[in-house]
Amino acid sequence: MSEGGPSDPLARLGERLDKARLGRDHGQNAAGSNATAPPSGLGFGFRIGVEMVAALCVGLALGWVAYRFLPAPWGVIGLIGFFFLGAGAGTLNVFRAAQGIGRQQG
Amino acid sequence: MASGSGPLEQFTIERLIPLHLGPIDISYTNSALFMTIVVVASTALLVLATSRAALVPGRLQSVAELAYEFVAGMVRENVGTEGMEFFPLIFSIFMFVLLGNLIGLVPYTFTFTGQIVVTFALAIFVFLLVTVVAFIRHGIHFFTFFFPKGAPIVMAPILVPIEIISYLSRPVSLGIRLFANMMAGHTMMAVFAGFTVTLGLFGFLPLAVNVALYGLEFIVAALQAYVFTILSCLYLRDAIHLH
Repeated sequence: MSEGGPSDPLARLGERLDKARLGRDHGQNAAGSNATAPPSGLGFGFRIGVEMVAALCVGLALGWVAYRFLPAPWGVIGLIGFFFLGAGAGTLNVFRAAQGIGRQQG
Repeated sequence: MASGSGPLEQFTIERLIPLHLGPIDISYTNSALFMTIVVVASTALLVLATSRAALVPGRLQSVAELAYEFVAGMVRENVGTEGMEFFPLIFSIFMFVLLGNLIGLVPYTFTFTGQIVVTFALAIFVFLLVTVVAFIRHGIHFFTFFFPKGAPIVMAPILVPIEIISYLSRPVSLGIRLFANMMAGHTMMAVFAGFTVTLGLFGFLPLAVNVALYGLEFIVAALQAYVFTILSCLYLRDAIHLH
């Protein structure tokens, strides 16, 4: 920062700050890192478990609604089907949560 | 809502000021009291800390600046610069959950984050907000989120319902995680405290365990606030970017 920029040191500091901010914003515009709880520890294991349980709960809730409101064969098919879909969604959740950590390490 | 003595007695809701709106009970409870305390405390912390506005911060201002920088960095890194318009909301959620967890560790206080209705309400709010934001930004194109790129089209009938259920499970997992962590921690502390009294002379053993549990609960309080906030940021990122 010599004769080209403003001579006032505070204005030069302002210029450098603006440049740094611009650089940071452009760097951050790409999808940010997936920073979640670290792999070690009870907290992480608990998080993975809750993801599976939550999806199972939602699957079972949808299945119960299907059983309640759909006529004879479709209700039971809905109950069983949504249970399996919920289990699949739970597995997907667990996979995604674990993969996020793996991606962070790799 | 368990009553009577025992480790679950700490979770009983007491009506401090009974109020009714027709048939609806809107009493001011001990839970509401501690929510008020948390809101007042976080507001006071931030207002007092920035009242001096020194360029070189003192201790209190440093605390506020650290909290701000931490959450701002989290939002900027995970959502991007355009997500900063949601920063006040994310910061409020973080401070509410963090101070709620921490103040609940003081003896004789009520941990409102250990109530499923509170955590589920927060989680549903975040989920609905994120979904509405996604609809506003992407319109009908939002539904392409449920079909990941590069998957064979034959798999769609199986994959799309699974993706939908996975998406719907987000508020459930968000709410249950915070609730279960807080309730389990406090129940364990109450159980070991009970042992300390009943064992008499050998009560120093569960007491030592309780001291360790208290330390763990401090970590869990901060960690669960962080996890809740960062997951909210990630869901927001999904709504803004990856549709």
